[in-house]
Amino acid sequence: MKKFLAMALATAVSLSSTYAWADRANQLSDERVRQAIAYAIDMDTIVATLFEGKAIVADSMIPNGGYKADGLERYGYDPEKARALLKDAGWDDGQVLDVVYYYGDQLTADLMVALQAYLGDVGIKMTYRKLEGDVGGQLNALPDSGSNTSAVKWDIAYGAKAALALQEYYNGYLSGKSSYTPGDADRDALIGRINGTVDVAVQKEAFKDFERYENKVLSDIPLYYQQLFIYESKRMSRNGGQYGNDQFTYDWNIVNWTAEPNDKGKKVLYTNTAPSQFFDHPWLNPGIYVFSKIGLDHLLTADGSLAPAGGQLAESYSVSDDGMSVTFDMRDGLTWHDGKPLTVADVTWSIETAKTVPGINGVFANTFDSIKDMSVDGDKLTINFSTLDPNMLLTFSQFAPLPKHLLEGLNPAEFQQHPFWQNPVGSGPFKIAEVQMNDFVRFVPFENYHGGVAKVEEIVAFPSGENDGNVIKNASAGRLDFGFTKSVADVKSLEEMEHMRVIPADIPYTRSLRINKFANISE
Amino acid sequence: MLTFIVRRLLITLPMMLVISFLVYLGLELTPGDAVSHMIDPEVANEVTPEQLAQLRAAYGLDKSFIERYGIWLVNIVQGNFGHSLSGGVSISAIVLDRLPATLELSVFALLFSTLIGCVLGTISALRRGSATDSTLTVVGMLGVSIPEFFFGLVAILIFALHLNWLPVGGRLMPGDESFIDHLPNIILPGIVLSLMMTAGVMRYSRSAMLDSLSREFIRTARSKGLPEWRINLVHGFRVALTPVVVLIGFRLPTLIGGSVIIEEVFQWPGVGSEFIEAVRGSDYPLVMSIALMSVFAVLMASLIVDVLTALIDPRVRLG
Repeated sequence: MKKFLAMALATAVSLSSTYAWADRANQLSDERVRQAIAYAIDMDTIVATLFEGKAIVADSMIPNGGYKADGLERYGYDPEKARALLKDAGWDDGQVLDVVYYYGDQLTADLMVALQAYLGDVGIKMTYRKLEGDVGGQLNALPDSGSNTSAVKWDIAYGAKAALALQEYYNGYLSGKSSYTPGDADRDALIGRINGTVDVAVQKEAFKDFERYENKVLSDIPLYYQQLFIYESKRMSRNGGQYGNDQFTYDWNIVNWTAEPNDKGKKVLYTNTAPSQFFDHPWLNPGIYVFSKIGLDHLLTADGSLAPAGGQLAESYSVSDDGMSVTFDMRDGLTWHDGKPLTVADVTWSIETAKTVPGINGVFANTFDSIKDMSVDGDKLTINFSTLDPNMLLTFSQFAPLPKHLLEGLNPAEFQQHPFWQNPVGSGPFKIAEVQMNDFVRFVPFENYHGGVAKVEEIVAFPSGENDGNVIKNASAGRLDFGFTKSVADVKSLEEMEHMRVIPADIPYTRSLRINKFANISE
Repeated sequence: MLTFIVRRLLITLPMMLVISFLVYLGLELTPGDAVSHMIDPEVANEVTPEQLAQLRAAYGLDKSFIERYGIWLVNIVQGNFGHSLSGGVSISAIVLDRLPATLELSVFALLFSTLIGCVLGTISALRRGSATDSTLTVVGMLGVSIPEFFFGLVAILIFALHLNWLPVGGRLMPGDESFIDHLPNIILPGIVLSLMMTAGVMRYSRSAMLDSLSREFIRTARSKGLPEWRINLVHGFRVALTPVVVLIGFRLPTLIGGSVIIEEVFQWPGVGSEFIEAVRGSDYPLVMSIALMSVFAVLMASLIVDVLTALIDPRVRLG
């Protein structure tokens, strides 16, 4: 009897371990199932109700505009079609999809409930869970080369892509780079066409071909385009300054902004995104935090859509016909806020250093990895590229050079931990006058700014991250004159305040369902 | 008493060691580490495994749990609290920066709530069954049952946004140079925190006072013809203070640890909000340091309560 029990136990352990380690077949690798999911979700209703109209239903990862292909299938709500596609694909309605997400807001939780209901209606069961801990690893773990089994364990991941360059939407699908999309030579060729040119007309066509391809195979199911909402108080004026993608930097024309004087006769504006413990460096998020926006200049400037729009630290620039070389002619007499000269050496040092800092912005990294060499001739900097980088000018409109004399010799792995980030020195139109860490940062106009001295006498920034939980409270109290939010609830409240105005801006920020398309999923 | 205090202080050391290990273990068991929190999930696919390993090595996260705990412990014994992983700032600098804000708020609230709570609790007990007692009882129940964040938001809505009497939050504004300058900023968070504490003190002191007034020594005092105020305040109140002191004593750690919710609601840059940020970011040197401070404060508060109880009530013997 004992022998029998031991054998039974051994068999049970063996079986359980076999099942525990077995890969499960993935029906999502069938594009009909993915299309069925797209048809099953009524995004029009979700946007109208959950998002109160403050989002745009997406039909592609790429936002609306000149790069959008015509005639894409919208996958409008059609549960009958979804059921038919699932039937064709032989969908096993006993399985339960594992849907993951990484946002902590209520809206995301509500969206999960809605998705569960819509999918359940066509016979797809799902559970959902928020990823905790090493979220990046759980989302992006790559399978072994050539494997048909994904290294990530989920079926569907709800997430977003906030692109600086449109290529960021699709470069991640290249063979061997995606955790949820197996390699495909046809797809690689289409991406190669996008990246192989700086000719805008050629690039647009390549994008459109790629979108048509993706519209059918649905590597991601695009759900909606997130809008960004710029808010400002009516006591300030941009005086013609433009509005655009405030997640990055563009020409705000801030030196010409004006503000009504306060009760002490001083023209002060209040904003957020000051630091709570240290200033965030600008080489990952170049435009989220106030110091990056008003305290740092770039070689080039950009317009509201982030298209390069002329020189900033560079007086002029020229690109070779083949796009493999760019020359910047720096302005004369530039200085840092501490009065030290800002030279070409600062720019080259910044580029060389950025190449060694882990986790910088992906567009910057691509540009810098493409650099063959740099040469300096007086105030002229020439950068030659070994491979074509269509986003090179975009990079130089967002990448802020930093002062070599204050940062030289740092350990790249501890870049953010350098004491410089307690009270940084910049080159932009406003300089830091006072840091009360976690209370406020006071900025005053930089008297030697090449673009003139700002008319606003002081900008006071209170600490917050990108998502400021105190927007409504501070705006109501007159302690917030400008900023941006993506929170639908905040927008509705701000719109009701008589002393505030809200300006919506379309940005390349797409929320989607990443579908795991590997033939098998590891358990 | 001296022997008792020395013995208690000696017991504190192994207790702190055990608790620090448990906190460290708890952090170790939470998913992710400081590096995984530093990298935004939306750009994480652009960071190579080699770069991640480089970052982990730079922060010492590539070592085993026991090694890291050992290094941390040795550093602490040498008085080196280390640096925050997320910003590289020395932890002593962070604590010294945040502690004054927390102390301001906590001391204000503790003093206010103790004074008002004891007075109202005593009045309530002396007028037992009256309309005053009923009203104070209802107020006390509301105070202990309504969440402090709700009180905070209502206070902001009324006094900062509608009446415009006080700031909505924050501790310092440009131009504030002295404590008096930023006094308006402390009033709302201080009073809201006090109200929550006051309710508890009031309830405790009322029931302790009622209990005290029913004792035989009070009857004896009356039979001796002592004036009523002397019976109530000198004889009754002194004995009633014992449980109140215990309650207040165990609130002393908030002087160090801060009130997380109030700090969040009022954008008050204290230790509590820093601790929450550190836990969210798995910034273990910072979490450990603040946790250790709080543990020390709790143990010291316990010691102080024991000593004060013995001083107030001669029947209590330390041993």
